[in-house]
Amino acid sequence: MTRLLLRYRRTLVLSTALLLAFVLMTLQVRSGSSVALLTKQILLTSISPFLRVATKSFDITATVWNEYVDLRRVRRDNQLLKEEVRQLRTEVGELRETALEHARMGHLLQLGNRVGTEAVVARVIGKDTTNWFRTILIDTGANQGIQRHMVVVTREGLVGRVIDVTALASRVQLITDPGSAVGVLIQRSRTIGVAAGSQGSAIQIKYLPLMADVAVDDRIITSGMGGIFPKGIPVGKVIRSSRPANGTLFQLIEAQPHADFSRMEEVMVLKRPPSSGLSWASEEPPP
Amino acid sequence: MMTFLLALFGACLLQTAIVPRLAIGGIQPDLFLILLFGLSLSVEPELAAAAGFLIGLYQDSLSGAPLGLNAFALSPIGFLVSGLSQQVKTTQPVWRFALLCVAGLLSGLITLLLLRFFHSPRPLASALLWTALPSALYTGMLGTGLLGVLKPNTNKGLT
Repeated sequence: MTRLLLRYRRTLVLSTALLLAFVLMTLQVRSGSSVALLTKQILLTSISPFLRVATKSFDITATVWNEYVDLRRVRRDNQLLKEEVRQLRTEVGELRETALEHARMGHLLQLGNRVGTEAVVARVIGKDTTNWFRTILIDTGANQGIQRHMVVVTREGLVGRVIDVTALASRVQLITDPGSAVGVLIQRSRTIGVAAGSQGSAIQIKYLPLMADVAVDDRIITSGMGGIFPKGIPVGKVIRSSRPANGTLFQLIEAQPHADFSRMEEVMVLKRPPSSGLSWASEEPPP
Repeated sequence: MMTFLLALFGACLLQTAIVPRLAIGGIQPDLFLILLFGLSLSVEPELAAAAGFLIGLYQDSLSGAPLGLNAFALSPIGFLVSGLSQQVKTTQPVWRFALLCVAGLLSGLITLLLLRFFHSPRPLASALLWTALPSALYTGMLGTGLLGVLKPNTNKGLT
């Protein structure tokens, strides 16, 4: 018997396995046998603690790995975003600058239309290199039809006049230059004087009689006398007025120019004197 | 025996926790079949059949299959692989791959036939084509690679 079993052991083992499996299946499928269910439960119970630990370990590993990958991705994204932000900031800055420049140009062109004369918009490309003079360099010159003594203005008011011209650039003497003299009048009282530059940022109004009606905040415009500056261009406003008691014949008047020379970027050169009175002379200057 | 039990436990853990993450298009490789295949290369057919039965039982217990389904399928596969391994060069990756694919297909076919027998039928042709065949190929590739790395004792086969 033993020899027989040994001889057919292979077939016997296979048959038994197949039969056992088939019986288990039949029991479970046909009648929901408790034997099959119990066997399944035992098998599952024997492995489930290990499964729980293993699954948890794998989950932790996967989580750590995913977080590591995410961290690397976030770091890379962060670098890319930083670079993008930097580029966008640069672009925004450039666009903002362009918009501001367009706005200033637009105002100057509007001014050109309003004064009714031929005018050229120019960029300020340099300022005086010494402390003794108050001049600026603009990017238009003889090639654009600029000539000496042409009047330079901004939206706010008078800037000065062209004193040197080259082919591509010109130098403008500001009204604050100590060598500058502009015929002006007090708009309210129509008193005539001369605006002269000083070493500071203010201008002095000279030759105003002691009895002239001048008050602080009075507006000063060009008088048109002297043949260079047309009448009616805003120059500034009175900031200090005094009558010295030392026998002087004239008042001491100090005025603040409307134009801010320290922040000036574009100016307009009037190529010809206006055909009629300037319209902006009656307007309030911009703040 | 101890090594086999450890390998069986390892296969259970990996098949449950890791292998589902390796699924491609819902098809995952069968580590139980790979374990049985590796074992069958080094043991006699009757031991391979018994091992197939035990592996199948564990596989059934970890799945929704009726207990005995995979045990029924894996027993003859272990038996056949063990018998065939004495006839072919199982040290060659190509042969291993081919045998694993055949084993996978056979396992699928037996499973489908048993399900049909127990009135839980699946469309045979499409299930073989779209489930059993891709699974067999995936198992074949993974198994060939794993067996190449682990180098099981295959001294009984042709070299």
